[in-house]
Amino acid sequence: MGLKAYLSDIWEAAVTVAKGMRITARYGVDPRETITLQYPEERWTPSDRFRGFLHNDIKRCTSCTMCVRVCPIDCISLESVRGADKKLVLVSYDINIGRCMYCGLCVEACPPKSLTHTSGYEKAFVDRGEFILRFVPEDPEEIKARIAKQVAEAAAKAEAEKAAKEAEEKAAKEAEAAKSAEAPPEDPKGEQMQSPAAAPLAEAAFAAGNPAGKPEKPPEEGGEGKKE
Amino acid sequence: MEALAISLVHALPVLSGVPLWAMTLLVTVLVAAVVLTFALTYSGLATYVERKVAGDIQARIGPNRVGPVGLLQFLADGIKLLLKEDIIPAKADRFLFILAPYLVFIGSFAAFVVVPFGVGLIASDLNIGVYYVMAVTSLVVVGVMLAGWASNNKWALLGGMRAAAQIVSYEVPVGMALLPAVLIAGSLSLQDITRSQGGLFGIFGWNLFHNPFTFFSFFLYYVAALAETNRTPFDIPEAESELVAGYHVEYTGIRFAFFFLAEYGDMFVVSALATACFLGGWHVPFLSAEALPAVWGNLFSLGVFLGKTLGLVLLMMWVRWTLPRLRVDQLMRMAWKYLVPLTFFNLLGVSLWLLLFHGKGIPQMIASLFG
Repeated sequence: MGLKAYLSDIWEAAVTVAKGMRITARYGVDPRETITLQYPEERWTPSDRFRGFLHNDIKRCTSCTMCVRVCPIDCISLESVRGADKKLVLVSYDINIGRCMYCGLCVEACPPKSLTHTSGYEKAFVDRGEFILRFVPEDPEEIKARIAKQVAEAAAKAEAEKAAKEAEEKAAKEAEAAKSAEAPPEDPKGEQMQSPAAAPLAEAAFAAGNPAGKPEKPPEEGGEGKKE
Repeated sequence: MEALAISLVHALPVLSGVPLWAMTLLVTVLVAAVVLTFALTYSGLATYVERKVAGDIQARIGPNRVGPVGLLQFLADGIKLLLKEDIIPAKADRFLFILAPYLVFIGSFAAFVVVPFGVGLIASDLNIGVYYVMAVTSLVVVGVMLAGWASNNKWALLGGMRAAAQIVSYEVPVGMALLPAVLIAGSLSLQDITRSQGGLFGIFGWNLFHNPFTFFSFFLYYVAALAETNRTPFDIPEAESELVAGYHVEYTGIRFAFFFLAEYGDMFVVSALATACFLGGWHVPFLSAEALPAVWGNLFSLGVFLGKTLGLVLLMMWVRWTLPRLRVDQLMRMAWKYLVPLTFFNLLGVSLWLLLFHGKGIPQMIASLFG
């Protein structure tokens, strides 16, 4: 190494150090360069297309079970009964948000657009069972009993109207229908899944996300045969 | 110390009954306590500033939770370290393991004794001040080596060996780079060196501007001193990516805190030496601190000295968060092929300059041109 290379080495060292320090000084002095967000106090607003926690507006929900069918990991469970006006009445609508992968397929599939992604992304629970979001606040049994009553009343009304023409056989049939509608309340633990085809499979998969012994999990032998 | 004790007895006749040795001991302990308190407070705050500087440079915020703008973070850290379990590895050499942090701590903080904080503010104005600092900071090598050996850990041992190699190598350029200041002042006492830099508006009397050789000498000293304190870019003894933490990898709690404090103490000592030898020490610009009343002169000079020194400490932090770590061979090459020859060259240059121009610096010559 000649003297020229030696000196140019020293010169290069000095120049490059100065260059680097100029850059870090710029970052150090310029307050705009600080990008840290003091999270709990301030936070970004998520974009409009952000896929946060799912929310179902149950007033608009038609219980069509499209979301249940389209969900790749079966984290949505839906139960409905047919009401007096022949429309489906939502009995329970649960989403296991701990298993949800936020793919958004259910939101795309939802015909009445009642299922939406919110901007929420902060949740913490001490128990896996608490990850199940329940959108129908009332007790499923009460709803079922109420609907059964309404159906029975409607049937009784229809029966009274039709009593003149065809009394006996029709009444027996209606009574039987009422009885079958009333059947679920006799079930000790109640049932979550009522969607026709995928029911047993989906139920098993759904329950897998819950710890054993939670009340929402139906017992293995408890009323499997009582599906509508 | 004895002189101070005697003057204290003269000032307060109540104490005249106390024997002289007792007064001297009392004054010594008091001065030591003051210096140590300053050193510890400075070290604590320096860790906070270091983290803030790191945060700013890396587009982060840094500590801001404990106290106003995070100022009490260092207290929280200190209390945390005090409360941590003190773990000594089963296979470690117990005695040496316990001894090592004290040696490092003493080596670093004993140098505070000769730091000239102000006109009269110096714990002990030793007539061999510069040599004292170099000798006492060499104690750090012993401590670091002991820590590496006693930990009975391959990383610690490697770190200790590297630290020893590095510190011993860089002692040479550090000493050589300081000698120009000693030559100009004709004294090894740091107070004398500082006093020799007065006059000429208090800035142009600095050794930094004395002649081109001293100018370069300052930067050479700073680089070599940076390496001697084992800080990035010369932190191969504790290179995280290869040695986990180097020689203090097995230390926990307050023993680790000693190493940590020693590093920051070293930073201050090195910067203080650079200030005293090249940046005019406690000389207040445009004022003669020595001519002022004792209280004001000391306060002004203390402020100026701390300002310069802490500025250099800040520069060290800035360098640390800018430059990547050197490889071992690069480190040695830099010491022996660049710094050592250059400092020798500088020393020769300064000696010739002093011989040829009878000790006059460039600013002095320019000033004499204008009468």
